[in-house]
Amino acid sequence: MQLMDRFRATAVGRSLFRSPDRVTERDRAAGHWANFLLHIYPVKVHRREIEFRYSWYLGVASAVLFGSLVASGIYLMFFYVPSPASAYGNIQAIQTEVAFGQFVRNVHRWSANLMVIAVAAHMARVFYRGAYKPPREFNWVIGVVLLVLTLLLSFTGYLLPWDQLAYWAVTVGTSMADFVPFIGGTTREMLLGGDQVGSATLLRFYVLHVAVLPAALVAVLAIHLWRWRKDSMLDDGEG
Amino acid sequence: MNEHIDRRAFVSKAWKGGVALIGLAGAWTSWDLLRPRRGPGGGEVRTVAADVVPEGGVVEVTAARAYLTRVGDEIVAISEKCPHLGCRVPFCEQSGQFECPCHGSVFNRLGEYREGPTPRGMDRHPVRIEDGVIFVDTARVEAGPDKGAPETIDEPPAGPSCAGEH
Amino acid sequence: MADPTTDPGRTQPQLAAGRRVLGIVPGTPATGTRKEPDRDEMVMVWPHLLVRHAVAALAVLAVVLVLAVLFDAPLREIANPTNTPNPEKAPWYFAALQELLSLFHPQVAGVLVPTAILVGLAALPYIDRNPETSPGRRKVVVATFTIFLVLWVVLTVIGFAFRGPNWDWVWPWVEWHGEL
Ligand code: HEM
Ligand code: FES
Repeated sequence: MQLMDRFRATAVGRSLFRSPDRVTERDRAAGHWANFLLHIYPVKVHRREIEFRYSWYLGVASAVLFGSLVASGIYLMFFYVPSPASAYGNIQAIQTEVAFGQFVRNVHRWSANLMVIAVAAHMARVFYRGAYKPPREFNWVIGVVLLVLTLLLSFTGYLLPWDQLAYWAVTVGTSMADFVPFIGGTTREMLLGGDQVGSATLLRFYVLHVAVLPAALVAVLAIHLWRWRKDSMLDDGEG
Repeated sequence: MNEHIDRRAFVSKAWKGGVALIGLAGAWTSWDLLRPRRGPGGGEVRTVAADVVPEGGVVEVTAARAYLTRVGDEIVAISEKCPHLGCRVPFCEQSGQFECPCHGSVFNRLGEYREGPTPRGMDRHPVRIEDGVIFVDTARVEAGPDKGAPETIDEPPAGPSCAGEH
Repeated sequence: MADPTTDPGRTQPQLAAGRRVLGIVPGTPATGTRKEPDRDEMVMVWPHLLVRHAVAALAVLAVVLVLAVLFDAPLREIANPTNTPNPEKAPWYFAALQELLSLFHPQVAGVLVPTAILVGLAALPYIDRNPETSPGRRKVVVATFTIFLVLWVVLTVIGFAFRGPNWDWVWPWVEWHGEL
């Protein structure tokens, strides 16, 4: 810690952290304004909001799981080519030849499952606490969007190993679109890039899975957190 | 209408219109890139000789993703794709019916509805016989017989269903 | 109290505690009428909330670590378009939907129900205008949501664990067909 204090006192340290050491409440508050990561948080929150029974920390859990998915997912991307000719073999190679490949794949898979649970549970907790009441109505709607994005991410990722589980789950899942009146058939074929699950589908799902959907989720999450930050600075007797 | 439009209103309309145009161009481009295109696949598939198709059973033609069966002189090509949600429907020899593994829809040998959540019977492809050989037109799909329609063949299940055997 | 907008004494700039009041406008604040936080009930995020979040994050990561070390992600045979596995199982979070699909017409189970759930969820704060937050004082909405939740969980468990080949009923302790 001493080393850290000494570093913060140097010219470089001061330019990096900008805020003074966190001794007084005023300094700590300054830290929130000067620090990129901390500025997602409010400076002060109501006493009850820091307790376990308030949120069960399920929102934090969802965010952490997303972080774990990004980290493990990027590692997997180095060894994975989204084509029917190579995808399945790549996953086998990840499990047998790549350093920590099996472990990273496990982390990705179990984090994905846990994230669906965490997001759904987070929503239930928010419901029972009545925390969707004014002025938080719209943040609840944003939460519903985040749940949908999480399910879509998981579903698009499910196809990538190109095994029997993947192929038929996606066949059945996308066939439901056919029954949407008027636009159903076209929507399904746009998603699949053909009239059945094939190489175009794998490529499209991959692009959605590693680029489009994570980017959308990050953008929507930013709004979600920003609104949370604004609203938790109020004490409106909500509990 | 007002002949005189002031600068403020014009700029306000102009930028909204511009954004709308860019949005439209983006939507059109995305549609053009992603829209479904009929590939060269899915045309007429040359299959087997007509006389190998049995009266009481079916012949699977993997290349056409279809089954061939017959009623009297007529050859019927039945698509393997379940009309419910697209699983491949296997033919169960011991019961003589089609049994879908996904949600348990059951069809008779002609793909006519027996039970399950499917909205209709199994879809069919037009067939053509040339020099005794069957050609199946996989590009064209005829929606299967209605759910409520009576079965046109009298073939009750010949034995226990294949469910539970794996 | 006199209305400040009509009170002639208030229309002139005044001195109040060393500050000059420049004007008073009618209406509500642009930021909305929020209650002022009670300062004694507020705590600093640094460190009180941050340490708790850090511990929560480590706990979640520990669970992931243990799962990843103990259980390998499944990988079946390579995709084969000419052979549907029996039973064919959707990912577990769609198991409830798949169970509904085996019971109702796909237009109902696959389109109407999911749309209704999502629209209903999104509209919830606009339907439930009751300002009470304690569950005891909002029985109707709590009961409705709970029934939906229980129903969905039960359907998920049935679709995930109690369905076998041809989507027939099985007992999970006799034969296991769940897929993650
Ligand atoms: C945010 C939530 C995410 C979810 C719910 C999710 C879910 C999944 C799932 C279920 C699979 C199949 C896993 C398997 O069979 O091992 C998968 C695979 C994959 N994911 Fe993700 N993912 C997420 C984020 C990401 C991100 C951010 C990336 C990359 C930037 C990524 C890259 C990949 C890759 C390359 C695969 C194929 C490798 C494999 O199947 O093991 N994922 N994902
Ligand atoms: S796909 Fe055949 S019964 Fe559902």
